[in-house]
Amino acid sequence: MDTSVVAELSGNIATVGYGLAAIGPAIGVGIVVGKTIEGTARQPELGGRLQTLMYIGIAFTEALALIGIATYFIFTA
Amino acid sequence: MTAPARPSSNVVMRRALAGGALLAVAVAVVGGPIGWAVAGGPGLIGALLGALMAFVFLGATAASILLANRFAGTDAYLGAFFGIVMGSFVVKLIVFLVLAIVLKDQPWVDTKVLFLTLIVGIVGSLVVDVLVVSRTRMSTVSDLPADRRID
Repeated sequence: MDTSVVAELSGNIATVGYGLAAIGPAIGVGIVVGKTIEGTARQPELGGRLQTLMYIGIAFTEALALIGIATYFIFTA
Repeated sequence: MTAPARPSSNVVMRRALAGGALLAVAVAVVGGPIGWAVAGGPGLIGALLGALMAFVFLGATAASILLANRFAGTDAYLGAFFGIVMGSFVVKLIVFLVLAIVLKDQPWVDTKVLFLTLIVGIVGSLVVDVLVVSRTRMSTVSDLPADRRID
């Protein structure tokens, strides 16, 4: 039986990895910042405290993006 | 009720920036010789660049919040806050990707050492951030308007 190629992809799958490494943390940071704005709008006197907690949330979430992208370069170096 | 002129989180952000800078110096001092031992000159440059990048990319969040807090008390505060903090995140990721791709093929830097140092710096920065936030004393109601503030 002959096999025929219907579709062929060429290139580097790591390109998809960039997107995956960026989209998760981007959603996470968006939620964290959005909720902080919501909280600050409801209760302005808690703004400073909410910002501090938001900062920790952003730091952990964006670290995932940076580590995810850096890992590719470690494995291919 | 209007927002106060200076949100109380500014103290935490400044401390986080200072702690991040100290950590970057520590990572560079420890990682530099290790990079030199592993890969010579390119390894040393990689370790120094990695420490610098970890500080710049994680410190950018605290810096963007400090910048956004300059708009506190104005009508544009929430919009400016969202735009500056999220905008810095987008710009940071783009700059990081471009830097990573540009540095990948440079002969004068060892990318494996660079990105390993970067990850060490990032994880270390997270520890510093948690320590700074947990050790800074803040009252629950911390941002009263000027006429109701007691400090």
